[in-house]
Amino acid sequence: MLSPVKLWRNQKNVGGMLGRTGKIISWTIVRVPPADFSDQAPYPVVLVEFDGGGRVTAQLVDWDTKHLSVGQKIITIVRRIIKPNTEGVIPYGIKVKPL
Amino acid sequence: MTVSIIGASTTKFGELWGTSPRTLAHEAMDGALKDSGIVAGRIQALFVGNMLSGMLGGQEHLGAFFAEELGFSHAAAIKIEGACASGGLAIHAAVNGILSGQYETVAVLGVEKMTDHKPEDVATALMGAGSSQERASGCTFPGLYAILARAHMLKFGTTQEDMAAVAVKNHYHASLNPNAQFHRPITIEAVLKSHKVADPLTLLDCSPISDGAAALVLSVKHQASSVKIVASAVATDTLGLAQRASLTELQATKEAAMRAYKQAGIEAKDVDVAEVHDCFTIAEILALEDLGITKKGDAAGGIRRGEFTLGSAKRVVLNPSGGLKGCGHPIGATGVKQVVELVVQLRGMAGARQVAGARFGLAHNVGGSGATAVVHILKE
Repeated sequence: MLSPVKLWRNQKNVGGMLGRTGKIISWTIVRVPPADFSDQAPYPVVLVEFDGGGRVTAQLVDWDTKHLSVGQKIITIVRRIIKPNTEGVIPYGIKVKPL
Repeated sequence: MTVSIIGASTTKFGELWGTSPRTLAHEAMDGALKDSGIVAGRIQALFVGNMLSGMLGGQEHLGAFFAEELGFSHAAAIKIEGACASGGLAIHAAVNGILSGQYETVAVLGVEKMTDHKPEDVATALMGAGSSQERASGCTFPGLYAILARAHMLKFGTTQEDMAAVAVKNHYHASLNPNAQFHRPITIEAVLKSHKVADPLTLLDCSPISDGAAALVLSVKHQASSVKIVASAVATDTLGLAQRASLTELQATKEAAMRAYKQAGIEAKDVDVAEVHDCFTIAEILALEDLGITKKGDAAGGIRRGEFTLGSAKRVVLNPSGGLKGCGHPIGATGVKQVVELVVQLRGMAGARQVAGARFGLAHNVGGSGATAVVHILKE
């Protein structure tokens, strides 16, 4: 499913998304994950409003229960999205961590 | 010109391990054709609503596949995909096929086979309906609706008990529907105690994974037992939640409903019975508000007070079939099943779950987390 060409094309956009700060406006904890995310569950997914506008849906990492609240400040970081598949290409992308 | 539904039928919904998609399609379509009194050779076009046959089953080209299977030899046949709104969209396309003047008699088939596959594979396939950003976040459809639920709880004070009341009502209605997946009434406590799928949504806040099919025969010619389609409207919104201005309403539902009421020349208060898209309990609360049946923030209270339950006779009865929640949710079949239920209701043939004196029925079918909404209005 992960095409190396598709990853190469899309990962060019990751740089511009890094280091942005914002606040959680809604969140959940995914306990029944999609197949590729099984080894990470349970994990929070948050909807973030960036300082200066714009929103993103992203996984929250380096978290504790106290971070799961509306208004919690976050920053975007680069992380491995899922474990590499047999093609050996590691998909990197944006996740967020509490500030 | 109006389009008439002259035949309607659905299979039982559920975990139908022994039944193939071909058999499901036959059961539903044979029932609809028998109901209409016409033979398969009269069907000029077939519209198939389905989402996952390619991703899960490896079979695409469903138009020709089911035209062959159902004996509609050389008929026009088209598969229509719009996530969980595939069934509603197939009806919309069929209606337009007749209104264009090209066809006089067409068939609609909604079908989905989900239980052959592992839940995590189904969850992955369903995320095909979301945005690429949402897929990269590891979110699931319960997760996306959980994000909507939390936003609604914050803004309107909606509680988990309010959401649980939707499940309780719809499982009660399902207990009266022989074709439903679930036949046991449940309690608010049971919903709250079931394990969490995506906080705050529990297992019993979620519609199940189901197999099933539903079919309609539409015609330009009216028959004595026909039900008329007086509105067929579709609207869209962004695929992803993050690109929307509001998390407490589905704009696509509001737009589709506005267009449908205008086509039908009625208002929300004229609807007697509605089948709305309760893929998760919060979705029925959003639907009630966005369809204009209640004001924003008022739906949950009305549902908890039983105002939308069979027999209350106070307002519109919501999801007498049991909805997606209690009747089951075979993705492509759902939108067609909603309309089959309304046909049965408007004919006065619904037995124990009959809504007394129903004249106008509304079907509301949503794809994704609200990126597609389809609204049909039917008249006896």
